[in-house]
Amino acid sequence: MKREVQLFFKHCGMIVFVVAMILPFLWMAGTSFKPHSEVERASLVPDSPQPQNYAVVLKKAPDAFTGKFLDLDFGRWYLNSVLIAGWVTALQVMTSCMAAYAFSRINWPGRDKVFLLYLGTMMIPGLVLMLPNYQIMVSLHLVNTYSGLILPAAFSAFGTFLMRQFMGGISKSYDEAAFIDGATHLQLFLEVILPLVRPGMVSLVILSFMGNYQSFFWPLVMVKDDYLRTIPVGLLSFSGQYGQQTELLMAATLMSVAPLIILFIVMQKQLVEGIQLGGVKG
Amino acid sequence: MKSSRKNIGIALLFLAPNLLGFMLFTLVPVLLSLGGSFTTWSLRPSVPLEFVGFGNYISLFKDKNFYFFLYNTVYLMLGIPISIAGSLALAVVLNQKFEFKKKNTQVRNELFLAMLIAGASMTLWIAGSRNLALVAFTLGIVALLGFRFGSISYRTMLYLPFFTAGAGTVLLWSQLFNPNFGLINEVIRGIFAVLHINAEAPGWLTSTKSLLGFLPLPSHFNNGGFGLGAREAIMFMGIWGAIGGNNMLLYLAGLSSISPELYEAADIDGASNWQRFRHITVPQLAPTTFFIVVVSTIGGLQGGFEQARLMTEGGPAGITTTLSYYIYTQGFERLDLGYGCAVAWVLFLMILGITLVNWKYGKAEVD
Repeated sequence: MKREVQLFFKHCGMIVFVVAMILPFLWMAGTSFKPHSEVERASLVPDSPQPQNYAVVLKKAPDAFTGKFLDLDFGRWYLNSVLIAGWVTALQVMTSCMAAYAFSRINWPGRDKVFLLYLGTMMIPGLVLMLPNYQIMVSLHLVNTYSGLILPAAFSAFGTFLMRQFMGGISKSYDEAAFIDGATHLQLFLEVILPLVRPGMVSLVILSFMGNYQSFFWPLVMVKDDYLRTIPVGLLSFSGQYGQQTELLMAATLMSVAPLIILFIVMQKQLVEGIQLGGVKG
Repeated sequence: MKSSRKNIGIALLFLAPNLLGFMLFTLVPVLLSLGGSFTTWSLRPSVPLEFVGFGNYISLFKDKNFYFFLYNTVYLMLGIPISIAGSLALAVVLNQKFEFKKKNTQVRNELFLAMLIAGASMTLWIAGSRNLALVAFTLGIVALLGFRFGSISYRTMLYLPFFTAGAGTVLLWSQLFNPNFGLINEVIRGIFAVLHINAEAPGWLTSTKSLLGFLPLPSHFNNGGFGLGAREAIMFMGIWGAIGGNNMLLYLAGLSSISPELYEAADIDGASNWQRFRHITVPQLAPTTFFIVVVSTIGGLQGGFEQARLMTEGGPAGITTTLSYYIYTQGFERLDLGYGCAVAWVLFLMILGITLVNWKYGKAEVD
């Protein structure tokens, strides 16, 4: 009985801590439903909830406070973010799997040296690369284009490393059996190895999509026109040119975070697996 | 199958897409950046490209701001040990059993709780305190999930701040820290009122105070005295985001791989909980801790960009400008790529140095 009581109090402690940690999200949700006049009031629940804030952000209704439609295109930015993160993820998974195959299933002279070079560059801070990369984009005339937002992120040393970790765990006897049956490398890759590393691919998809959906720096410097903005950069316009409209900012923020929360709830098992494999064994 | 030359062709076919991108967007930029740091490279067409040798590096070492921003960067990293210790503590707690032994106890508890929540939140709502009603309701939902699914539900909820971290949460916190109506100062003022303390709530992002503000620092460090200021606010947000994140998951993985026999042996010797933690858990987790410390240090030295860009514009009085934000402003506001690259390379060398030291001494500790 004593143990059960102890357990009960352990639960209580954890519950209070968890609620304290998610309190900011509650405040965000509450504020996003407030009318402008209530924003500065100390409360979580609005007195007269105003769900139209969401319609205002999506430009379906005029703002109740200023009486005008917002001069921004949140829906478009949403689409941009998903589209760009989706393309980057697809390219990253494809190129990383292929490279990981070359690094783990084919024997060729110099392989380990090239792989070491890949690993070495993972240590170089993104800050070192960002200024020259911008110049490269200027020279390739890719500034302010979708390609300019997608391409530099589409080739990942980390993804290659992660997929190599997964492929390294597959027995070589599959390869031998396949080659005895007269299979080519392409067939082995597509029909045997890829299906076996599916869990790894799922983790890479989640990590890469999440990272690129949230990517802030690169779109910030690459995008000049409004229509190309992604959500993280777009959020800047709520605190800037329209004056401080906290309720609209919070509605937009909640909408930007919502897909992540859904993705997380659906995919958490694979996600945890990927993090622990990439981290512990690395 | 032996390593053979004829495999190079097929290997290259598989490698080509990744390797091309890798060369164009990683290898070439690294070389450009290193080379550029020795020139007057600028985004302004009017500035001619000239080789200046170590000119940029020499002006950097004379640059008072560089030391100021380095201090800011390191100061913000003081939150890292706190968040790592927090992750470890959470992992140790969450690694314990959270399931009730008797099934009927659990069902009874859940029913009892569900009624309690419903009752409490409805009473509070009717009594007019809708905020407390919402908090009670949330507590109840979390409790129900916790009782039903045990430790895994707490892990999931604690991971949320980390998973959603980005521009959105940074902007959310800049509102929470609002000195007048932000949630944090509301709570602080509430506590002050209850305890009859007559004090001002902190200015957070608008204040140049800091916990090390009593140090006699050079005047251009814009030291605002002892207190809670912008840097503490950013640290606080960082701890919130990191404590239940990847570090906690890595610790949980580490804990689950410690052999139970070690603890059984300790129990036979009559070791206390603290002794078990100090002499079994901590040493067994040393490799995980080592990995986390290395990764967090590297991240910390490069950190602070989003916070500076979205929350503070590097201010007040420059105290939240980190080296990464400095590189950004040098490159994209002053358009001076050469100088920006020089700062980036000095930062890289510091990261490399610290990582090597970590490796040398940390590895010895771990082994």
